[in-house]
Amino acid sequence: MAVTSRPYPTAAGLVERSAAAYVSGVPERPADDGLFGPASVTWKMSGDLGGPIAGLRSLMMQALHPLAMAGVDQHSGWRQDPVGRLAATSAYLATVSFGDRASAEQAAARVRRIHVRVRGTDPVTGRPYEASDPALLLWVHAALVESTLAVRGLFGTPLSADDADRYVAEMVVAAELVGVPAPLIPSSLAGLGDYVASVRPELRCTPAARESMAYLLNPPGLDEDIAAIWQDIRYGAVVALPGWAREMYGYNAPPLTPPRREEVRQVLGVLDAVFLGEPGVIEARQRIAARMRTARLA
Amino acid sequence: MKKVSGAAAAVVAAGAAAGVAAVVSLRRRAGPGRLRGNVQLRGTFWPHGRLRLRRGMAAAALAARGGARYAGGAPRLFAAAGEHRQRLRNDLALQTAEDVAATLGAMKGVLMKLGQMASYVDDGLSPGVRRTLSRLQDSVPPMSADLAARVVESELGLPPGRAFARWDPEPIAAASIGQVHRAMTLDGRAVAVKVQYPGIAETIAADLGNVALLRRMLRITAPSQDVDALLAELRERVVEELDYRREADNQRLFRAYYDGHPTISVPGIIDELSTRRVVTSELADGARFAELEGWSQEERDLAAETIYRFVFRSLYEIHAFNGDPHPGNYLFHGGGRVTFLDFGLVRHFTPAELLPLMGMVRHLCVDHDPEAFRRELVRAGFLRPDAPLSTDAVIEHMAVFYEPVRENRPLTITGDYSSAVVRRFFDMRSPVTAYARIPRSYVILQRINLGLFGLLGELTATANWRAIAEEIWPFVQGPPGTPIGAAEAAWRARRQAAPSTLV
Repeated sequence: MAVTSRPYPTAAGLVERSAAAYVSGVPERPADDGLFGPASVTWKMSGDLGGPIAGLRSLMMQALHPLAMAGVDQHSGWRQDPVGRLAATSAYLATVSFGDRASAEQAAARVRRIHVRVRGTDPVTGRPYEASDPALLLWVHAALVESTLAVRGLFGTPLSADDADRYVAEMVVAAELVGVPAPLIPSSLAGLGDYVASVRPELRCTPAARESMAYLLNPPGLDEDIAAIWQDIRYGAVVALPGWAREMYGYNAPPLTPPRREEVRQVLGVLDAVFLGEPGVIEARQRIAARMRTARLA
Repeated sequence: MKKVSGAAAAVVAAGAAAGVAAVVSLRRRAGPGRLRGNVQLRGTFWPHGRLRLRRGMAAAALAARGGARYAGGAPRLFAAAGEHRQRLRNDLALQTAEDVAATLGAMKGVLMKLGQMASYVDDGLSPGVRRTLSRLQDSVPPMSADLAARVVESELGLPPGRAFARWDPEPIAAASIGQVHRAMTLDGRAVAVKVQYPGIAETIAADLGNVALLRRMLRITAPSQDVDALLAELRERVVEELDYRREADNQRLFRAYYDGHPTISVPGIIDELSTRRVVTSELADGARFAELEGWSQEERDLAAETIYRFVFRSLYEIHAFNGDPHPGNYLFHGGGRVTFLDFGLVRHFTPAELLPLMGMVRHLCVDHDPEAFRRELVRAGFLRPDAPLSTDAVIEHMAVFYEPVRENRPLTITGDYSSAVVRRFFDMRSPVTAYARIPRSYVILQRINLGLFGLLGELTATANWRAIAEEIWPFVQGPPGTPIGAAEAAWRARRQAAPSTLV
């Protein structure tokens, strides 16, 4: 556990670098509509304000898998440059969501190449792990999909049951892309719920998870404005966790009353506005909106 | 304290009819696109500036102003105004009230409004938030033709096609939480119809209730009472702007006062086509601010003089200050004639609020009584009574703001002058800074520094500002100092002869 004594660097630039990553993933002249396309639920979901909370919540869920956490902790640049690591993930997600097929496949191939080198032993469970293990990849995938839906339900406009099913089904291809065999991947909301329940016995809050999340919940070095906003983002993510996950971490969150929900929504709006102020973000949003509009008219 | 004290000094200047380009010249360096406000025809005048000199035509439109004669020019006006159409993203138009909520709900509408008023808060914001405020406006697409028509129908009781003889479904400009359509009334008048985004007033009003978040966003390094006063003033003004009837009332007030003025004109409100969410006013045409670049310096000086007169006449005579001296709010017709648009952000002052401002300029510039000037500063709340400063130091700090009206001589408002004032405005090392503050009633006057003198500096306008100010100062009532002043004196004489319905 020697690594834990190393302090994390500052999180300054979190918004700026996330924004740049997002912009880089939204192409100006895509060769095709990519894996999902402008008529997909995936694209529709992308406009939701809750993105930052969904992202944070999914990291918290993903971190509860000891082997997934160990891989991130021991191999990625997470400790040296957590903001850069998050930005790389944002760029990847934007490329897979909005890029054309070639870009999405290229980005995924790169991730698969990196994963091959990520292998080791989890210091807590003593179990060996490989990042290319479909079981780990599937958990990371499912945690993101489930978090996106949960956060939208709490802080945005909830999807209809049909759209939620469609979203889970659309996401199957994203998991396949990083190397999960299709038959393993949940393709409906109910299937997703069953899958998460089946993994629960393996989940636990390791010191690495606790430490990483403590960093994310209170990142040092943020702009003062963003740091203030982050308190509500953090609350939103914690309150959106399943009760059992909150208990594993030992977090408390006061219940989500309508005024608290409104407060979080307002903060999400402010954060979105700050995001829009970053170079290229408005234009990237407009590119997406224009393609969705065209698709709707067609 | 930094921000507040600078603002206080600037407001003093504004009241003095002297003022400066303080923050504005900062803006100019940041690029003209940032000088945004609450404008009727926002954005057409700046960066894409093709020069279009259409003075003759505009003058004809001005001559044809009002009533039946106006109708003669209407069809042409109706067509001409479209040339100013700004590059709105009609392809991304908001289709439903839900689209509007997604775009402007959750605080974003509030931030957009604050962005338009960023002059108040500029110095207290982090660079990220400042960038946000300045760009947020660009991220808001217009309403679709359908959605705008639905708002018109719910407000006027008739779809636009029946409420108006002609209706252009494509907006010609973005406006304060709405957009502007041109139309022609059933009796043939060309009009500009401002249509508010549906549901947005309620959302913004509710979001403004989150004072804690707003305070965090503004995060001004000033005593909390000042931040709260600032916020209270901002909220009040924003809430007022949400009700277009208020704007219509203001426009009527200014129009009535300036009726017959030789160089100032204000388009009339069409009462029966104006409601809470829709305001219809005569469509005026003229040269945009950016076009003045191609005009002679003499013409630019005349235009500047009229803007200056308008601001301070309004302040002293109708006790109202149009807090939005944005370049897009003027149309220029040559010979110093200017049409003033957009009265969404008007602050009315009580005599008790105005008297200290008059006292200050009078003591400093006319009576040359520094101690009385200082007493007035304290009385108005600009300077703490216990400030351990010599009066000389106070005068030294404030004098630059009064520069244009301290001496009776022509003076050019240049970018250099503005820069000097900016340095003073944000001078943290000055001992005076720590003891100055800006009382709530005068917060809005700060916009003068942003708009008015920025414009004058942009025009490198020369005039004997002191002579003009003396005409306007109630405690001097000097003789006409310029040809426009002479024409204005004659207008005032006619006004006084006729029974006034005002004030």
